[in-house]
Amino acid sequence: MLSLISRSKWLSKSAKCLRTVSAQTALTQNNEKPKDVLRKQVLEYRHVYPEFLPDPNPDFRNSLREKLERNDMVARRTQIDIPEFYVGSILAVTSSDPHSPGKTQRFVGICIKREGCGLRASFILRNVIDHQGVEMMYEMYDPALHKVEVLKLEKRLDDHLLYLRDALPEFSTIDVNMDPEILTEGAPVPINPIKVKLKPRPWLERWERQHLRGVQDLGLAEKFYKRAQELEKPWEKYDLMKEYMKTIPEEQQLEIFGEVQSELHKLELQRRKMKRKRVFVKPSKLA
Amino acid sequence: MALVNVATKTCCNIRILEEKLRTLSLTALTIKREKHLNARPRLRNPTWFTQKTRAPTNEEMTSENQEFLKEIVQDKMTESAAHAKEIVTTSNIPWDPKMQRAGVIARKIGIYPLWLKNGKKVSTTLLQVLDNHVVKYYSPDYEPPKQLRPKVYNRKACLLIGAEVADPSLFTKDYCGIFKNSGVLPTKFLARFFISPDAALPLGTTITAQHFQVGNYVDIRGKTIDRGFQGVMKRHGFKGMPASHGVTKTHRRGGNIGGGGEKGRVWPGTKMPGHMGNRFRIARGLKIWRINTKYNVLWVSGQAIPGETNSLVYVFDSKLPLRKPTSALPFPTYFEGQNEEAPEDIFDEEVHLFSEPTIVFDEKK
Repeated sequence: MLSLISRSKWLSKSAKCLRTVSAQTALTQNNEKPKDVLRKQVLEYRHVYPEFLPDPNPDFRNSLREKLERNDMVARRTQIDIPEFYVGSILAVTSSDPHSPGKTQRFVGICIKREGCGLRASFILRNVIDHQGVEMMYEMYDPALHKVEVLKLEKRLDDHLLYLRDALPEFSTIDVNMDPEILTEGAPVPINPIKVKLKPRPWLERWERQHLRGVQDLGLAEKFYKRAQELEKPWEKYDLMKEYMKTIPEEQQLEIFGEVQSELHKLELQRRKMKRKRVFVKPSKLA
Repeated sequence: MALVNVATKTCCNIRILEEKLRTLSLTALTIKREKHLNARPRLRNPTWFTQKTRAPTNEEMTSENQEFLKEIVQDKMTESAAHAKEIVTTSNIPWDPKMQRAGVIARKIGIYPLWLKNGKKVSTTLLQVLDNHVVKYYSPDYEPPKQLRPKVYNRKACLLIGAEVADPSLFTKDYCGIFKNSGVLPTKFLARFFISPDAALPLGTTITAQHFQVGNYVDIRGKTIDRGFQGVMKRHGFKGMPASHGVTKTHRRGGNIGGGGEKGRVWPGTKMPGHMGNRFRIARGLKIWRINTKYNVLWVSGQAIPGETNSLVYVFDSKLPLRKPTSALPFPTYFEGQNEEAPEDIFDEEVHLFSEPTIVFDEKK
């Protein structure tokens, strides 16, 4: 009973701090309450800003540390626009390097992995340049990053695309001078259902054991699949405790994003303004 | 006859000499033979080491009475907090590099990177300094009840410091007695720090994160993660043996533990499987990069500070001779009353602030 009361208390508290923004943003549909719309919007943040959520390992969590970390992350985001992107999106990152002073480098590639939480968040970009596979790992909050552009915003079928290392090069070859594809505002992020063809074995990992969806038939002998089946852990999806430890409950997410929402929303609006400007400029380039 | 006489006389002389020598020699004293070359220091519990918590009993109190007790505790807490604010901790003695100040009890709350202005990344550990209170002072003349060693040179004074004030009804009477004359309510944690007598603090003083300064070095003592009984590969980093090529049943074993012949035994100190972790270890000479005065957090370089996240550590000025502070430290501790309000975040000069613009590396002329 007590816990219920306290929960409702802070729910209302978090709702209060969000209310200020609700006036500007909520597309008030008549059938839905503005509070619910706002809630949905905030819960959507877990896809856009996954690194704001606490560590999936509960041993490493500490609410004060996470709070300080989030403040620092927002502080950095006021200096650099880190847009929404997913594994499978094509990015261009401009960064400076102490070994080439006075210059900046721009690297274009497909995001094959996104990991880490808090200030330790990082992603890996991959491209094939001059028939040579190149990968760059960037830390999202590294102050040497100047610009992160999303050239193509899309998702893939898998959580990571590390298997592109063992795939034919055309699947990770991206034109360096590619023009950005701009999605209409509010449109859902498209999922690219492309199936990648892997090179024959030997591979870096045993991909047949990883339940990959974005891969064509692997063309392996029967014994490989048999072994994979032996090593499967089908009971893990029923392990409620494991699931519970890994996930952050909705109420906690609301609390976490409630703290930083106003700042993030301001940055978002700014970004939208910039985007509109860019769209307007584009035709003059063609002429 | 004469010959025999002479012989007895010399015998007597030798016996007397022997006796004299025996009284002179140290072996005459009763000496216990030690098993080890350097005898292990025997465990002597500190005087304040008593049973801390009591078994929870059902007092069968009415809810009003319980609330009343809670109120009393709350009142006492505010009272002691007010008392702590009144204490003036300034001293006329100037700071000297040879002086040893008190340390603090802190909690390790996690790891995250900071970046320097030259683009380098430093991984730092965050230590939250708890509400530290001075509980007791032992002057250098203090003699513990059971003295085993005859003499201790260069004696230090000692401060007993408590952290995390809690409801006194949780603790035993004995434990609460430690806090009797300090004006501090019983705390969950206690620690003692040896100090030079000039660095003594009045009882009830609170020590905050500003006891330390950005850019200085600290030592951190903590209990390492308990890993239980571990094999030789994990415990000592042995290589193990091959997985295949005819190797059977010895993949992670230590192998040979000694030779034969004259050395035909297991030598003391041989690395073998056993319990790993759960020991006090000190990480020395770690730099403080940043201090948050609002939440009392220290950012300290390194991510190998003993203990898990959310475990207790003891922080004190580094004892490494080359990492001594160059300028004066707040002595005996930071005194809030005399200074203007400190900024919320204090950064080292080298650290790049997150709110600063992106780093551009200039060409060197």
